[in-house]
Amino acid sequence: MKGRTIVITSGKGGVGKTTATANLGTALAMRGHSVVVIDTDIGLRNLDVIMGLENRIVYDLVNVIEGRCRLRQAMIQDKNRLELYLIPAAQTRDKDSITPEQLKALCGELENEFDFILIDCPAGIEQGFKNAVAAAGEAVIVTTPEVSAIRDADRVIGLLEASGLHRPKLIINRISADMVKRGDMMGQEDVESLLAVEVIGLVPADERTVAAANRGIPVVHDGRSTAGAAFTRIAARIDGEDVPLKELETRPGMFNKLRDMVGIKGRAYSHA
Amino acid sequence: MGWVVVIAESSTVEAEFPTKADKQQPAVLIKGRGTEIAFNLDENAPLEDVARELDSQLAGQTTLFSRGGISINTGNRHLSADEEEEIRRIFREKSGLKIARFVFTTGPSTLEQVDVDPGLQLGEDTSNGDVEESPVRRNRRNPAQFSDFSSADLARALSGMSSQGQRTRDRAMVVRGTIRSGETVDHHGDLVVLGDVNPGSELLADGDIVVMGSLKGLPHAGASGDNKAAVIALEIACPRLRIGGAEANATASGSVGARRRKQGSALQWPTIAYIRQGKIHVSPFAGRFARYTKGVPYEG
Repeated sequence: MKGRTIVITSGKGGVGKTTATANLGTALAMRGHSVVVIDTDIGLRNLDVIMGLENRIVYDLVNVIEGRCRLRQAMIQDKNRLELYLIPAAQTRDKDSITPEQLKALCGELENEFDFILIDCPAGIEQGFKNAVAAAGEAVIVTTPEVSAIRDADRVIGLLEASGLHRPKLIINRISADMVKRGDMMGQEDVESLLAVEVIGLVPADERTVAAANRGIPVVHDGRSTAGAAFTRIAARIDGEDVPLKELETRPGMFNKLRDMVGIKGRAYSHA
Repeated sequence: MGWVVVIAESSTVEAEFPTKADKQQPAVLIKGRGTEIAFNLDENAPLEDVARELDSQLAGQTTLFSRGGISINTGNRHLSADEEEEIRRIFREKSGLKIARFVFTTGPSTLEQVDVDPGLQLGEDTSNGDVEESPVRRNRRNPAQFSDFSSADLARALSGMSSQGQRTRDRAMVVRGTIRSGETVDHHGDLVVLGDVNPGSELLADGDIVVMGSLKGLPHAGASGDNKAAVIALEIACPRLRIGGAEANATASGSVGARRRKQGSALQWPTIAYIRQGKIHVSPFAGRFARYTKGVPYEG
């Protein structure tokens, strides 16, 4: 069988691409799939830190591509012995160290052995982005409900479509149900209508995500985390399971209830 | 997929080679235009000559690259269906390119031709002081490389345009889908978008621009200097708007048309922007020109 290569990208930095890659990779592996996650952010590698595998790096992506080591030697297995492997980025090189064709060939090779290959794309739309996108057959875009992130996501969707990656899926990260309810933050419908792509998941803002990243344990391992649960559901959707988008939970307050009754809806942004 | 999206970054001139070494304007001029190739066919040469030259040009070319779009500008010459088919046939048989679509356009091939003489005025409304400043397309991504374009050619191109304003507008392009940030759609004619035009994108059309969605990018209708062109959208929410040589900037309230929307009810009406007395006005689009005069002048 042939594996699926999915690029996780956003355009804007800091919206949670690497966190999403680590968590989706882990969640897919927990569902019993064999998964490779590739960090293509050469020079600014992070995925290894978030997965807690920094100390185990011997060889990296550039080493593999330059033929200095075998592919298997650069693949670091997950701490929990899941069928999850990381190919880390080189820290001392730059994005021009690899070409789109090389990464494509590498992923083609991995597709023969693994169910999922997730590519963690660097921020921006330059060489690193082109490398990451060339190899992928599908794309997941991560955005936060902020106009700047959405503007960049829009640009990236256009670029993906131009390079033949149609119908990318969207993850809205760090969404706060309370703020959406108050009208201070764009909700799912707002983002969907602006970007006109399918939303594959909403990830609530959750302090546990940060704590988990600092510990090097993806938050999907944390049973009490709402963000972890959201990533698990997204993984199920990527896997083809029909999981309805779960409504974000809000803390109902007296005022909110009252406002809902009279039907006032605030708007915090004029146009995005 | 009868449309052309030119991604800004890739809009470099990829191939440009006059077909003859002498000063005379060649019968066929090939230019890279974004991700596609544009062929300018001399409107004065006999069509047989043009066909023959095209034939030999394509047969001799091995370095042409296209992502599937071929645009053919026939100047002020209108081709019959048979003539168009003949040109298509030559391309299919000789070029060796995979061609997904042909776009035939008329009128001056590039508006920078106008830049040669900034004193020239286009259209009727340019007499007004407000729009006199450079009534030409300022945002063209690919500057023309016509070094041998004579002023006689220019004058002819311009007269063809102003006396027969319909010339450049008789072919509409329909874009099905969302125009996203960073994309530029550029068409010599009317432009219809069946979707939203998102912030950070650009629309350039020699004729009218119609957006069946929310317009938040930067539109330039009548980009060749036609001040009679209009912009019509289900929602005009763009920070800037250009028609012909006039430009409107958004006020602090957000966007062109914001004032209109505030005055109106919650219902969104299709809105039209047009030039009246040298200034851009917006008003609800009622489908009849008589209603446009009730528009709100843009005060920016």
